Order: sequence, then C-alpha cells, then structure tokens
Amino acid sequence: MEFGYIFWWTLLWVIGWGIIGNIVTPRIYLRRDLDVSQAGLVGASVGAATGPVGLIPLWLRTPQLSARWSVIPGLLVIVILAFAFAQADPDNLCVASSSFIYSQLSNGIVIGIIYGLMALGLTLIFSILGVVSFAHGEFYMIGGMVVYYFLNVWFEGSSPIMAILAACLVTFAIGVIFERIFLAPMHSGEVERPGEYAILVTFGLAFFLQYLVQATAGANPVKAQRFFDFPQYELTSSSGAEIITTTRGNLSLFDAVSIPNPRFTAALIAILMLILLLIFLYRTWVGRGLRAVSEDRQAAAVAGINPATMNTLAFGLGGMLAGLSGATLVQVFSWLPQVGVVASARSFVIIVLGGMGSLPGAFVGGLMVGLFEAAGAGCIPDPTRAAGYIPAYGMIILTLVLLLKPTGLFGREL
Amino acid sequence: MSLERKKIPTYLGYLATAFLLAFPFVYSRADYDFIMHLWITAFYYAILASSWSLLAGYAGQFSFGHMAFMAIGAYGAALYSNYIRFVTNPTGTCTEIPFFGQYLIILDAQGVTSASNSCLDIARETLPRGTVITQPSVWTGILIGVLLGALFGFLIGRLVLRLRATYLALFTIGFSEILRAAISAEIDITQGQAGLELPPLFPVGIFGYAPTDKLPTYYVMLLVFIASMGIMTWLVNSRFGLFVRSIREDEEAAAALGVNVVKYKVRVFVITSTIAAAAGALQGHYIGIITPNILIILQMSLVIAMAVIGGVENIYAAAIGAIIIQFVLEFLRNSFDIGPFVIDMSIWRLVVFGLILMLTLRFQRNGLIQPLLDWFSRSDVAAETVAIRQQESIGEPGGGEA
Repeated sequence: MEFGYIFWWTLLWVIGWGIIGNIVTPRIYLRRDLDVSQAGLVGASVGAATGPVGLIPLWLRTPQLSARWSVIPGLLVIVILAFAFAQADPDNLCVASSSFIYSQLSNGIVIGIIYGLMALGLTLIFSILGVVSFAHGEFYMIGGMVVYYFLNVWFEGSSPIMAILAACLVTFAIGVIFERIFLAPMHSGEVERPGEYAILVTFGLAFFLQYLVQATAGANPVKAQRFFDFPQYELTSSSGAEIITTTRGNLSLFDAVSIPNPRFTAALIAILMLILLLIFLYRTWVGRGLRAVSEDRQAAAVAGINPATMNTLAFGLGGMLAGLSGATLVQVFSWLPQVGVVASARSFVIIVLGGMGSLPGAFVGGLMVGLFEAAGAGCIPDPTRAAGYIPAYGMIILTLVLLLKPTGLFGREL
Repeated sequence: MSLERKKIPTYLGYLATAFLLAFPFVYSRADYDFIMHLWITAFYYAILASSWSLLAGYAGQFSFGHMAFMAIGAYGAALYSNYIRFVTNPTGTCTEIPFFGQYLIILDAQGVTSASNSCLDIARETLPRGTVITQPSVWTGILIGVLLGALFGFLIGRLVLRLRATYLALFTIGFSEILRAAISAEIDITQGQAGLELPPLFPVGIFGYAPTDKLPTYYVMLLVFIASMGIMTWLVNSRFGLFVRSIREDEEAAAALGVNVVKYKVRVFVITSTIAAAAGALQGHYIGIITPNILIILQMSLVIAMAVIGGVENIYAAAIGAIIIQFVLEFLRNSFDIGPFVIDMSIWRLVVFGLILMLTLRFQRNGLIQPLLDWFSRSDVAAETVAIRQQESIGEPGGGEA
C-alpha cells in the first residue's frame, strides 16, 4: 500500500488554516463591531480553501458575510483534497479508473436517495412532534425483516409489492400505537420534562424492538432475493458505442456506469414514494395540516386542525418511511436485528447536516452522506478497513457540522 | 418512635455497606466464585448507572456514549499494558524513549495472526546480560485509561454541550458506534473481535491471594463504587449540584442568574465520563479480555434501563436499581419450553426489560426504588403541604390582593 505523505500534509495544511480562520476571523469581526454569526464558518472555509491568500484580504476588508460565502471555498476544499489524494496515490482505483468513479458516484446517489427517504421520516417526526426518534433505525430494520419474512416464510412466491406494502403497514401501525400510548401524554402536559422523556422513551422502544425481533426472528443474517429482474435490453448508438445494456441483475450506461439491479429498484421505489409523499404533503388537506402544525401548533389548532391526530399521523408516517427504506434495502444488504443502529446514527447525521426539521435538508443531506460514504468506501486503500469505517464517515460530517454550522444547511435558527 | 424515619435510609446504607464489606468472609457456599463474580459485575454496573444518572437525572444531559467512555478507559489501560515495556538498556529495535534512567519502549503492533517476533523478542538476543524488562504497573495503566476518558469527555463536551440536549444524544450514539467500528477495524493494534488481553489487577497476588482470586478485586471494585458514590454525593450537595440542577430545570433561567451553563455542563460531563472510564479500566483488568462488544448499544441500554428503573433522578436509587437488575438478569438466564416453542430467556429477558423501561418511564417516572427512598425522606409530605398551601391561597377570597 503506497500512500504518500502529500495527502496527509495537505490535509494538515487545510485543517490548520481552517482552525486559524475559524478562531481569528470572529475576533477581528468582533473588534470592528461587525456581525460575527457567520464569521467562524466563513473564516474556516476560506482558510481551509486558500490559506493565508484568502484569509488576509478577508481580515483586512471584513466584508459583510453570509453563509453563502462558504459554499465556493467549501467546494474548493473538496477539490484540493481530491487532487492531493490523486497525487498521493495515483494507482488507486478511484483515481485511475473513470468507470469506477462513475459507478461509485451513481451508487452513492442511488443509496443517498434511500438514506434521504429514511431521514425524511425522522425530520418529519421532529418538525411536528419536536422529538428525535431514537427508534428510527429499528423501524428501518423491521421494514426489512417484514419484507424478508413475507417473501420467504409467510407467503412464499407472492409479489414484492405486497411485501413492501405489508412492511409499510406494520411500521405505520407500530408508530401509531407507540405514539398513542407513550408520546401522546407528552403533549397534554401529563409528563414532566417532555424533551428528556421523549429521548429516553424512544430509546427504550429501540431496545425493546431490537430484542423483540431478535427473540422472534433469531440473530442470523437474512437477505431477500432481488425484487424484479431487468428485461434484457441493449441500445447502441449509430457509431456502435454502447448506451444502455441491461442484464437481469445489472444495468450499465455508456459502458462506464454500472448499477446493480437491487439498488436501482430500491432507488426507483424511493423516488416514487418521495413523489407520493410530496403530493400528500402539498396537495391534500391532511398534508397541509401536518405542515401547518409544524409551523405553529397553536395557530393550526385554532384553524381547526387537531394537533394530537397530526402527531400520531406524523409519527406513524415517519416510522413508515424508515420501514420503507428498510423494505427496499433488504434486497441489497444482509439483514440483522442490529442493522438499525448504524442506520439510526446515519439518519441523525443527515438531519443535523440538513438542518433539524427541514424536509429538503433531509433529502440533500441524504445525497451528500451517500456520496461521502461511497467516496470513503471506494477510495480508502485497504478495502476491509474502508468497509469497517462506514459509520465513521458520517461522524466526520456530523463533527464538522456541529463545529461550524450547528443549524445545518437549511436549518431554522436555534 | 426514637428512630427518625428520615434517617432510616442512611442507617440502611451504613448497614448495607457493612454487609458488603463483610460478605466475602461470611459467605461460604459452593457457588462462592459465581456469587462474587455477580457482585463485582453488579458494582461495575452500579458505578456506571449512578454516574449516568448524575449526568442525565441531575444535569439533564442525555448521553448515549457512557459506555464509549467506559471502553476508552478499558482500552487505554489494555493498550498501555500490552504495548509499553520498561527496559534498563536500549534495545535498538523498538521505538524507545529515555525514562528516568530506564528506557520506555513501545512494542510494534503484531495483529492477531502474526507469527513474527515483536521488536523486543528480536532485541532479546542482543541485549546485555542483566537487562531487566518490566511490565508496566497495572495501576498506571488504569490511571492512563481514566485520564483518556476525561480528555475525550472534555473534547466531546466542549463540542456538543453548547447545543441543545438532543444534539448530545445524537452525537454520543454516533461516537459510540464510530469507536466500536474503529476498534473492530484496527485489528493490528486492538486485535478486533479477538479481543485484547489484560493482566489481572494484582499480577502477583496480594495478601496471599492468588491473582485469579475474586476477593481482592471485589474489594477494589467495592471501594471504587463507594468512593464514586461519595464523590457524587458531595458534588450533588454542593453548589455544583445546585447549579447543575438549575441548568436542568431551565437553562435560560440559570444562565440569566449567572450560572455559566456550558462550563458546568462540560464539568459534569467530564466527571461522569471519568468515573465511567475508571469502571471500564477496572472491569477490563478483572475480566482479563476486552472486545469491541463491550460498547454495543445493548450495554448502554442496560445501564440506562438500570438507572431509569431504579430512579434516574437519584444516584442511590440508580445504583440500587443496577445491583438488583444485574442479579435478576443473571438469574433469568435459564431458557424453558412452552409446548413446541423454546423460550430463549437470554434474549427474552432483554425484551421484557425494554418493556419495563418504557412502562416505568411512562407511568412511574421516578423509577421503582426512588419512591421508597422518598417515602422515608418524607418529601412526598412536603409536596403535599405545598399543594395544600397553594390550594388555600387560591381558595381565599382576599388571597390575590396580598
């Protein structure tokens, strides 16, 4: 494994100037009596991207800052690091092979869509109940388990669509029942310190569900068959170059990008659900009611929306979205009662990155985390180690977000 | 009644302490080793549950990374005892640092399956006669583990505690997972799932007890338990405890009254992380081998369940809850059959505990042990009096004018 020092020195340089920018910039802004709310973030990103070249003019001229100022330097940092990586390790598959890059990219996007769907459920719950459900990953796990048992044990040979619907139904029902019994009293003032109560009781639910599934389904990994086969198809351009080729289990585009069937189906289902969800939220009375409650509980109640019903509905829907992403991914990954833990942690990263309670934020955050994980898993030289560290990539993002911009990309101010 | 009811828990506490101190000498049944093992583990969980309840119940900061700090303590101690040696002459093959007339050497990581010799084994051929190679002291290792726990507690506390309580919960659950992933992945250093071995607490025995005897460990664990309870009691009853509780009740109000909210939150976080790290380092040396599985979410869930079922707002209730639940869980291991179904109790007991945890939270917020303690301290009577007075002042026609 040849892994040059160039990359580490670049990383050190970037981090060093980022820290300097993050610490010094707010002080200078404070001394000139200017708004410091974005100074730390912008200072860090400008410092990381350009070092002293960008920081000194920034310190001298102290322009009025907004969070947008950090977008271009942020992208520049990614480019610099990618370039340094390519210099340090030119033989790495994710530098040398363009088709590998495209495949990783498309895989990252495909999986990111599903992560986004799952995080959407969590952010929906948060925006309406003000609660982070620590059992979100367990809904995901149950969704997958139901699909597996539906297709392989209970109703062998039935349609995967039925199985997915069953998974949605089960997770929705669990969500509704749990909300009615344990979370509804929170909003009627029966429970002291509702915030703390919610953290603990959802954590208790996670514990309970995980071991309930392990007790009933066992601890052996299971995996569902892929839901659908691609039709065999081949399309070539007039010059004979390949455009789309499908085999039963794989889809390849332009001879470069290759997407395995299960992931493609999963993303397709996720996009379909996402469209349905958006129609529901923006075009139906109930959906508007949900959004109204998330904006202002009291005002919504005055307008004739029952917040208690909306709470129940939101928790059920949120759980269902997690269950759905699990249901689509059970054909991609092997499934254990413990898969929910990492999935939970990832959803937390996504909603913090996107901004707590922001629906577009959850989706964009999901894509970003998906891409970042694909890059990490594909580029780190030692593949077993790279796979082992998958939960860590999200944590790097989370740490950076908490350090630099705790409100996330699209968050409301805290 | 000459005995004040308020004092009864205190006396019972002294009695229980005396009982625990005398227990290893009084008890002599055949299952002595097993029961001693249960007690040691119960103390370990009691330390964790009570320190977690100080963090969550008093300060209102919900960390799901308590076991991560425990693991940092354990792995800190283990890595130290596995990779550090003291040699009187330079080896020339290892990384070495002069250290008070000796040389501190860092062994090269070997991994699980490596058959090659470590740098010390190679150096052994050439080292002059009379060279002494010493294993580092177990207690220095524990100290290092504890300090590492404190350091990580400080860093994470500084990062997350300036934000809302939810962020701490979100971050620590992820931190715990990343630590587990890192320990599992860095097989060369930590030996991954194969586990890292630690020497026993007293490698050459003490007072005539062999290193494997449980009695010395029992007393060490008990003393650490009592000491941590003592420290926490003192903290809770001092200004510090008052500040921390005010933060829990209303962070903005506490800040407005001049409590440096972030500082005190970080302090309580560091203190509880340190206690957890100490428990982890001791338990690691006691068990003799640590694997990344010590920080699966189940362990954290168990500690939380113990604290909550005991009573999360009272460190004593949490500790008593932990000891009782540890014993109950241990005796619920036996599986049984109902007709054709095998009930695997090692899993089902956890399901039941999850359910009890949720039901306790919902219907008996103060836990199951704390109300007992409250009954003795008559705080229920105080609450009643307050309620009666309030009712009176509302009921009086002229009450509003005064």
